[in-house]
Amino acid sequence: MSRNLKTALALLLISLVSFIGTIVKIWMMRGG
Amino acid sequence: MSAVVDSHGHGHEHHHDHHGGYGGIMRWITTTNHKDIGTLYLWFSFIMFMTGGAMAMVIRLELFSPGLQWVNPEFFNQMTTMHGLIMVFGAIMPAFVGFANWLIPMQIGAPDMAFARMNNWSFWILPFAASLLVISFFMPGGAPGVGWTMYAPLTVQMGIGMDLTIFAVHLLGMSSIMGSINIITTILNLRAPGMTLMRMPLFCWTWLITAYLLVAAMPVLAGAVTMTLTDRHFGTTFFNAAGGGDPVLYQHIFWFFGHPEVYIIALPAFGVISQVIPAFSRKPLFGYASMVYATSAIAILSFIVWAHHMYTVGMPVTGQLFFMYATTLIAVPTGVKVFNWVATMWKGALSFETPMLFAIGFLFLFTLGGFTGLVLSLAAVDIQLHDTYYVVAHFHYVMAIGAVFAGFAGIYFWLPKWTGKMYDEKLGKLHFWLSTIFINITFFVQHFSGLAGMPRRVPDYPLMFETWNKISSIGAFGFGLSQLLFLYIVLKAIRHGEKAKDKQWEGADSLEWTHLPTPVPYHSFETQPVLK
Repeated sequence: MSRNLKTALALLLISLVSFIGTIVKIWMMRGG
Repeated sequence: MSAVVDSHGHGHEHHHDHHGGYGGIMRWITTTNHKDIGTLYLWFSFIMFMTGGAMAMVIRLELFSPGLQWVNPEFFNQMTTMHGLIMVFGAIMPAFVGFANWLIPMQIGAPDMAFARMNNWSFWILPFAASLLVISFFMPGGAPGVGWTMYAPLTVQMGIGMDLTIFAVHLLGMSSIMGSINIITTILNLRAPGMTLMRMPLFCWTWLITAYLLVAAMPVLAGAVTMTLTDRHFGTTFFNAAGGGDPVLYQHIFWFFGHPEVYIIALPAFGVISQVIPAFSRKPLFGYASMVYATSAIAILSFIVWAHHMYTVGMPVTGQLFFMYATTLIAVPTGVKVFNWVATMWKGALSFETPMLFAIGFLFLFTLGGFTGLVLSLAAVDIQLHDTYYVVAHFHYVMAIGAVFAGFAGIYFWLPKWTGKMYDEKLGKLHFWLSTIFINITFFVQHFSGLAGMPRRVPDYPLMFETWNKISSIGAFGFGLSQLLFLYIVLKAIRHGEKAKDKQWEGADSLEWTHLPTPVPYHSFETQPVLK
């Protein structure tokens, strides 16, 4: 895998964690 | 970079000045060339700037007199919403991505962006997103009139135009993230030998940091609008108190994106100014390393200040205090930057061509916007001023003056390099003075109407605010018309401009000026320059 591709995938991972993390966090904060 | 020597020549002696396999419109649709894509971004952002500007004219026309004159309140709300969304996501952000595309490969000695095809895709998503925003006006119920912040629970009550806006935001976010991945990869992996990170022009540094902000912050907005979408159509209750959700949570996540967004817009503007001021001071940038550290500090702090946008939601005093102190802290690295720009000019051989005028205009007026930001950061004061025209004045000083003036400074600065033609200096200066005078007429008085209590996003107001609003509207019409002069100047330069020199500005010292001819060839740095 090229160095460029590795960099891009790492950054994509950050953005996916940010996206999913936002939704999961709000989901966990729901009241009863 | 004045000390570097290019041992490989310019790499343009054998350049092929072709535009890929296509001509005409297909050249632009299929292009993977960073210069073409930069041009596309810049023209797209100008079209959006005029579109959002036309909406601002409608807003100021309605506010020219108290009472309802021209549009109904629903349409007025749609205008304020779309003006904000289009200016932030359609005009300012793509303008600086355009600068990034044009300049980063040239400034670091790379032949193109790391992912040239993805670069094409990043751009061509934008017209579709902008179309979705505009089409929403023609949906039942019209475009969303919820404000550019798209707060719940109002967003749940809107018509189908809201869904189009949500998808538009998704597309704009995808485009920004792909653009950012491209920029970071290009800067980290494609620098020419000898171009260490700490030797890069500051514009590249500010964009590197901005791109990280985008990768971290844009998905948060995407998450927020996705939850809005599922609340609207799929029975979830993320932001609905009746189902155990909380509308204030929307505000938290929106501003967790929204405040970094402010710096996503401001940092590239700082980068442009950091190139322009040294060039016309004929001195290297004062405190280069401290500029890099200050930019990083601003980026980190931008993630811990979001709730200063929502002091009035009823948060604990300890919360208010935390966000107040954190926000006040941002003044320190920002102050470092302003000090460094002034120190760069100190004892420099200054000259005042149009880019420098816009840069100095930026310095004065952005700092003024920064000061009112400091006023608003104080929770006790903000509770009085929240949602008044004082806030509108503050963020227009930062955005409509700060970012846009930096954009103009950059266009006038690099236009000779990009097109090979010089703009009309007299007209450029006229554009600067008209813009500066009219934009201050527009927004300075809004501090007064705001302090007197005039609320934002309302089409009608008591008689006592009439004078300030009339003055503000006249300023806005003048500023709008002045931008037609800008279009004329650019078109005139492209068609009939005098030939520009290879190094049009004697104080400019980054690679595009020192190592490339004017106009820059279609393919530059096919052979990497070696910098010593």
